[in-house]
Amino acid sequence: MLKLDGVCRSYRLGPVTTKVLRGVNLEVSSGDLMSIMGPSGSGKTTLMNIIGLLDRPSSGSCLLEGRDVSSLKDDELSTLRNRRIGFVFQAFHLLPQLSAMENVCLPLVYRGTTRPAARRQAGEILERVGMAQRTGHRPGQLSGGQKQRVAIARALIGGPALLLADEPTGALDVETATEVMSLLQRLNEENGVTIIIITHDPSVAAQCTRQVRIHEGRLVEVVQHSASPVQPDLESRPIVGGQL
Amino acid sequence: MRIFPILASNGREAAGSLRRNRLRTLLGLVGVMIGVSSVIALVSLGEIARYEARKQFESLGTDLVVIRYNGGSDVEGIAIEDALRLADSLPSIAEAAPRITGRGTFRFGGKELGQGSVNGIARSFASVSKLPLREGRFISDLDINQYFCVIGHQIAEWMRMEGGGDPLGRLVEIDEVLFTVVGVLDHYEESYGLPVQIGANESIFIPITTARRINSNEPIDVIIAVSTPGTDHKVAADDVSTYLHSRSPGSDFGITTAKELIAQMERQMEIFALLLSAVGGISLVVGGIGVMNIMLVSVAERRVEIAIRRALGARRRDIRSQFLIESIMLTSAGGVLGTVLGLTATWAISHFTGWGFLISWFSVAGGLGTAATVGLFFGFQPAHQAARLDPIAGLQGN
Repeated sequence: MLKLDGVCRSYRLGPVTTKVLRGVNLEVSSGDLMSIMGPSGSGKTTLMNIIGLLDRPSSGSCLLEGRDVSSLKDDELSTLRNRRIGFVFQAFHLLPQLSAMENVCLPLVYRGTTRPAARRQAGEILERVGMAQRTGHRPGQLSGGQKQRVAIARALIGGPALLLADEPTGALDVETATEVMSLLQRLNEENGVTIIIITHDPSVAAQCTRQVRIHEGRLVEVVQHSASPVQPDLESRPIVGGQL
Repeated sequence: MRIFPILASNGREAAGSLRRNRLRTLLGLVGVMIGVSSVIALVSLGEIARYEARKQFESLGTDLVVIRYNGGSDVEGIAIEDALRLADSLPSIAEAAPRITGRGTFRFGGKELGQGSVNGIARSFASVSKLPLREGRFISDLDINQYFCVIGHQIAEWMRMEGGGDPLGRLVEIDEVLFTVVGVLDHYEESYGLPVQIGANESIFIPITTARRINSNEPIDVIIAVSTPGTDHKVAADDVSTYLHSRSPGSDFGITTAKELIAQMERQMEIFALLLSAVGGISLVVGGIGVMNIMLVSVAERRVEIAIRRALGARRRDIRSQFLIESIMLTSAGGVLGTVLGLTATWAISHFTGWGFLISWFSVAGGLGTAATVGLFFGFQPAHQAARLDPIAGLQGN
């Protein structure tokens, strides 16, 4: 589903060129629950930006669902992000002026879905993450765990092929973090959502079926469970309307 | 269509953003409002001034041809008979009123009243210059060489103050010559639309033949003529010029038509109006720069938001349209308020100056149109900047 081949990314700042990624090879299959671990400065975020189609590799290829994305135009990347990628951020990144409902609707808005249809779908998905009672609340009126549930709902509403979570529990207390992690695990197990979690927390990584470490711009596979076999038909299974 | 839900959502977001940042919105609004209202007020006032000037010019009629005697080798200028025959001789001229002007000291009952102008005229002068008669009669064709006079409003006042009662039928002394008052004029509103001033209020009008008799050296200084209806004013002027030069080859005449003057005035008013709209335009540009400034701040403050939207799949054009809609909304609202303010100011000014109030719909349309254009123009750079923001930097919050 996702294949990185020899991906390098370097940044030029004046005369200095910093190589952040030095040839990353990675293959993610549909239904994977994968963690990418590494110390700060190791290139975690850069890798996530490339996988999330926010950044392009300096060299090497990145194939999403068999399609080379490095040659795509900005608009095409935006559309692909909108339809195939769901983001969950450490800082939640909900828009403070919008209600939970409106925040969840956003990806559908940029897809051109009409407002009533978007609100109906958002209502369903908020119910599945246990936020049905809080749809009209603004992010400022929600707890950290609730915010992250809304953020997950927003990431899921578009029916993405891949859910990218950057330190999803980083801003949460232990109890809430556990709740959020079990929600992600359930999404993966019961709905077959492919999830990549970027984290520096070993306990989070331990809950993933595949664990990858990034070190000095290269990837090392640490754990590969066989307990989570790839199910080829999962990709086409709808999330909305399914059991979470 | 994909675009409508996006635009609708962008519109809601833009309105929300304007509502949340009250002070900033207010400042932008005031800037545009002042710009638009000054465009509308200045252009409207320009148009009102033009209308008023035109009214002034036209009060005497648009068919006037004014001939001035500018001297020449022929000291006596045009003969009275020739001047009076002007209308009969030329089909393009309907009426002609010559005038011999001098100054005199007026006395009444042995007391000096004051000084003023003495106009030697014929019957036609009253109708051509629209002198308002209050009582008595005007100078007639039968008054040849008679010592009759028609006095201006102010002269009549002076006579009353000297205890004369009703001036009609009384004797007034002009430079030691006695005249019988046969008519009294009402207050005369001077028209500035002509190269000749009548000054009727401080004047005494006497038969032109009498004037020539008293002072044989004084030439006819002005002939006010009226062209026949439907005649081109240039043709009338040419005819008059040919006629006068054939009668008095040594004289130099200056011929001006009312239409010429009106055209000249209109040209000046156009320049004036252009100048006023330029001044208004400058304030609108300043307002636009204010909006641009506000939008740039708005974009800078919302970098994270823009990055989130981009991550969720907003294309550059979606972001651009969101901010463009915001700035156009701001300037359009300022435009509507500015229109109201501008029209109110115009009304107030025309009310206190006593001018007629008229709404220049051209300026209203122009003001509103320009306001939206200002929003588009000055909103474009900030919107473009927003669309070009790097989502990665925004998401990392730096």
